[in-house]
Amino acid sequence: MTVNIPIGLLFSVSGTDKRIGIDALDGALMALEEVNADPSFDFQLKPVIRDPGDSLSLFHKFAEEMMGELGCRQVIGTVTSSSRKEVIPVVEKHDALLWYCCPYEGFESCENVIYIGSTPSLHMVPLFEHVIPRFGANAYIAGSNYIWGWETSRVARELITACNGSVIGDRFIPLGSEDIEHLIEEIEAKRPDFVLNNLIGNSSYAFFDAYHKLGQRKSAFLPENTPIVSCNIAECEIDSIGVQALTGHLTTAVYFENQSNAENKEMIGAVRARYGQNRRCSNYLVSNYTAIKMLAAAIRDTGSDKIADVRPNLLARHFQTPLGPLKIDNLTNHAALRPGVGRFDGENGFEIVAAADELVAADPYFVDFDALDFARAISANGASKVQHLKVVK
Amino acid sequence: MNTIITPNFRGWRALIVHRQSENVDRLVRQLSRLGMDCEQVWPKLVQLSDADVVFFDGDNGFDGLFPWPEGHAPVPMVALLGSEAPGRLEWALRQGVSAHLLKPIGSGGVFSTLVIAVSNFTQQQMLAHEIAKLKTKARLRPKVVRAILSVMQSHSLDEDAAYAFIRSEAMQRRQSVEDLCESDFFRPSNPRGQTRVKN
Repeated sequence: MTVNIPIGLLFSVSGTDKRIGIDALDGALMALEEVNADPSFDFQLKPVIRDPGDSLSLFHKFAEEMMGELGCRQVIGTVTSSSRKEVIPVVEKHDALLWYCCPYEGFESCENVIYIGSTPSLHMVPLFEHVIPRFGANAYIAGSNYIWGWETSRVARELITACNGSVIGDRFIPLGSEDIEHLIEEIEAKRPDFVLNNLIGNSSYAFFDAYHKLGQRKSAFLPENTPIVSCNIAECEIDSIGVQALTGHLTTAVYFENQSNAENKEMIGAVRARYGQNRRCSNYLVSNYTAIKMLAAAIRDTGSDKIADVRPNLLARHFQTPLGPLKIDNLTNHAALRPGVGRFDGENGFEIVAAADELVAADPYFVDFDALDFARAISANGASKVQHLKVVK
Repeated sequence: MNTIITPNFRGWRALIVHRQSENVDRLVRQLSRLGMDCEQVWPKLVQLSDADVVFFDGDNGFDGLFPWPEGHAPVPMVALLGSEAPGRLEWALRQGVSAHLLKPIGSGGVFSTLVIAVSNFTQQQMLAHEIAKLKTKARLRPKVVRAILSVMQSHSLDEDAAYAFIRSEAMQRRQSVEDLCESDFFRPSNPRGQTRVKN
């Protein structure tokens, strides 16, 4: 008799972050179907899908339902930090495992979470290593008014100040707000070297659009002169932003569709076969796809979906994934990954303009990081590799 | 807006004064994530050696547990509390806690507790130092009054001018007004203290 294993898929596919939620869910579902169709797995993964939309309390409620009533010991999901914080007490209570696959601000390391996303040492640091030597260290920061916007801006300010740059403007706008004209006016007046975008969802899309119009009017604000740089823009948002408005701007990610590893090429083929030839792959889709594949491998190895069995198995492995090689760190439960920087090149997607050539350990508490060393390395080496990053052997 | 520097505890040493338990294991695990070294001791802390912070059992701690006078810990103290019985809280408070962590200890909360404990401890140290300084000032106030009266008389100055004279003498000698007044400087027998103010 086939064993059915319920897997919670908890994503907002409606509301402000739906572009990312849909992509993440599609990635997870595709991986789940591949596992179920593969005879080498002697079990079936049964998706338990819930959409909390923009309601934080629904995250808690649905998580409790999945783990308390429906027997899920493994839950893949959440995009925003505030929603993850709602789910963590529930996974701790039921001793279940949450797979979190998005970039976030770090300063967390929960035993009941596997983190496949990047923290600032894997997004802000490589982004600034690329941007500051090329454009300068005077930044304007626009952010959404919640933890991601605040903390990402704080880290940016710390790095910029260490590099003798300055934050010449720092504005937060409410989640979902598209009222960004005053930011554009301020950017025009203050002439930063680059604009750091810590906005999410519709605010971010409206911002790119308005900034594009500013660039049309004044060439100083074309992306080749004053780019928008982001830590959370991915391929799934291209259509929402618009190809023209995004072209030339920079983003950092642990995955780009254009990366050349065989696992990625194979997965892209499968995504297009399933979701259509025009479907793009983003780190959200691929990370969640990868999470399910890693989980399935661990369940097959151990014959169990209990955290006590799955976790040690995961921690002992080196994975080859569409994201690239991947290793979960024993101490922090975060994935070591290969961060890169991409410049959006119109219909060709993100052109990878910088990439780590080895796995870089996550450092969610910035323990092995020193902002002044970072600044010295940037001024000494210019664009070349900064030495502080702890490489995973 | 100020630049807030990321707190970093890399290389710090923590002493955990608590019997061996899963709570201690989880605490050690989380502190290692922050780059810290830990040592667990129980039932008695003989010496602090070079620890930067002490975590101690608020549930089973007893008088004489620490090798310093009660409430005078030289480093931040973090109470690990399971029991919230007022008697236990009072004992923990007497040790001079800078912050506390509730048992069961999880991975969440350790970093923020440490940041708050260090900040509270630093602030307490600063305040204690400030209070000691003010106490000395208050103690020496009568000497300052006596010196003002003496200078008023010997220099035929009013009160404000006499104080200004004393202050400028103190500044020239890089001494506090109180310390200068406590010395023999303004005694009528000291000719320098009797010099006329130049202005």
